Amino acid sequence: MFQISEIIKTTNLTKVYGQQKSVDHLNITVNQGEIYGFLGRNGAGKTTTIRMLLGLIKPTSGQIELFGENLFKNHKGILRRIGSMVEVPGFYENLTARENLLINAKIIGVHKKNAIEEALEIVDLHHETKKLVGKYSLGMKQRLGIARALLHYPELLILDEPTNGLDPIGIKEMRNLIQSLAKERNITIFVSSHILSEIEQLADHMGIIHEGKLLEEIAFESLRKRNRKYLEFQVSNDNKAAMLLESHFGISDYEVHDEGNIRVYSHLGSQGKLNKVFVENDIDVLKIKVSEDNLEDYFAKLVGGGAIG
Amino acid sequence: MADLLFTEFLKLKRSSMFLISLLGSAVAPFVVVIATFIHEPATPFQDLFYNVNLYTVLIIGVPLYGVVTTYLFNREYTENTLKNLLTIPVSRVSFIISKTLLLFLWIMMLSIIAWGLTLFLGMLTQFDGLSSSLLLDSLKQFSTGGILLFVLSTPIILVTLVTKNYVPTIIFTVVITLINVMAGNSEHRGLFPWAAAGDISNQTLPPTYPVEYSYIIIATTALIGFISMFVYFKKTDIH
Ligand SMILES: Nc1ncnc2c1ncn2[C@@H]1O[C@H](COP(=O)(O)OP(=O)(O)OP(=O)(O)O)[C@@H](O)[C@H]1O
Ligand SMILES: [Mg+2]
Repeated sequence: MFQISEIIKTTNLTKVYGQQKSVDHLNITVNQGEIYGFLGRNGAGKTTTIRMLLGLIKPTSGQIELFGENLFKNHKGILRRIGSMVEVPGFYENLTARENLLINAKIIGVHKKNAIEEALEIVDLHHETKKLVGKYSLGMKQRLGIARALLHYPELLILDEPTNGLDPIGIKEMRNLIQSLAKERNITIFVSSHILSEIEQLADHMGIIHEGKLLEEIAFESLRKRNRKYLEFQVSNDNKAAMLLESHFGISDYEVHDEGNIRVYSHLGSQGKLNKVFVENDIDVLKIKVSEDNLEDYFAKLVGGGAIG
Repeated sequence: MADLLFTEFLKLKRSSMFLISLLGSAVAPFVVVIATFIHEPATPFQDLFYNVNLYTVLIIGVPLYGVVTTYLFNREYTENTLKNLLTIPVSRVSFIISKTLLLFLWIMMLSIIAWGLTLFLGMLTQFDGLSSSLLLDSLKQFSTGGILLFVLSTPIILVTLVTKNYVPTIIFTVVITLINVMAGNSEHRGLFPWAAAGDISNQTLPPTYPVEYSYIIIATTALIGFISMFVYFKKTDIH
């Protein structure tokens, strides 16, 4: 039978700094082949989680399994299968990109001769032969960070806000790059961001972290399904319109929003009928809209207050 | 480990710290030889070596090697490269060992350079008394000083790892130097590890205490520093 293997699995993963639970009983699961977006506002605990996944900091409590193995039992073997970039990637600034990658290649034992060249080509830095990394722009460093993470052909890429500081074109290129890596090299990708739209365009699965807690873990596919469609009427008298909905059509599944906006979640496709009744009862209908619940609103509701992104 | 050490050398390419440390190690030979040449040109060659080694081990060495130590370890924090290394992964123990190995080579190189420069400048200014046995003895003095200061660098590495900053290390090494200077004429100086290192290398340990005392104190200091830096670094979170 076809079996999906779990690449990342955390169980009650917790990190406490002083009084603060930066990561709080986090249970996430990332399956093979997924692009998993890890979404959270600033300070939500994304980087802390990633540092724990990579063994840089020790969890206060909880378990981490990577490739089905306990991270703390086979730390070295597991990390060899992962490529990562945590926050801003750091380099030896007195060296060139090639020299920086050579350090990793030597230590990891990458023997393939043109591995460095290949990695630089993927991120389009192979023309920068002389420039020292200290003279690189932020975007170039970010790309070099990806090249370095790819150098040893990892099965899992863990990227912490890889589009941080990139311009719109750079962001688009990074997105294409990540998606093509997932598709062509069959790499599982765990990528964090604080920008919802970015995750939405990039990932197929998503975990939302807020104040250290996982609020939801969901596939975008089912999220879109779950996002209900509605009819929206902008009317001159929302009280009266609401009464009519209830008395005339028996509709109770509706919401009144500010300035005379009514959302009706049932009777989709019957906007003509509803409109007619409104007009017959001296209600001006200024606008009718058929739409989906906006993702942004959904998240704003989820994290209670200001929207993500 | 050989690969790791190779990468440590590669990291020094185009690094200005290398040159700066060379200049630092050249200070004592220049000052001593030239000052002696001006004031007492009849001084025997042996005293040149003696004085340069004295200044190198007791005064210049501790802060100079302290800065080198901090540079080696601290740059992985300031340049944000430590998280890359540890996730490739380089084990934390190998990381410390390769750095420490490089520090050893670096300190020995600077010691030998100080020696060679003294020899060169002394010959240039034509001091008397150079013999092959003096060459050998003085080389032994300089290397003993280097080795002892290297061994005593573990507490300095610890300070660097904990504070991740140049300032505390510099203060720490300056305090050590200050004690060296103040203890310079004390008969008890053999009990202070860094002062004892100077006396051992120059064979001038005062007879107040048995020589074993000095060795034990140096070994204990080094060992405590060594164990603490390992325990600390193994446990610490990398941010
Ligand atoms: N070393 C530390 N000591 C104390 N608190 C810390 C430490 N590192 C992180 N924190 C706290 O943990 C919380 C989560 O931080 P984290 O860096 O994981 O957030 P993040 O989701 O990555 O945010 P951002 O989007 O800003 O990168 C924050 O409140 C932060 O202040
Ligand atoms: Mg972060």
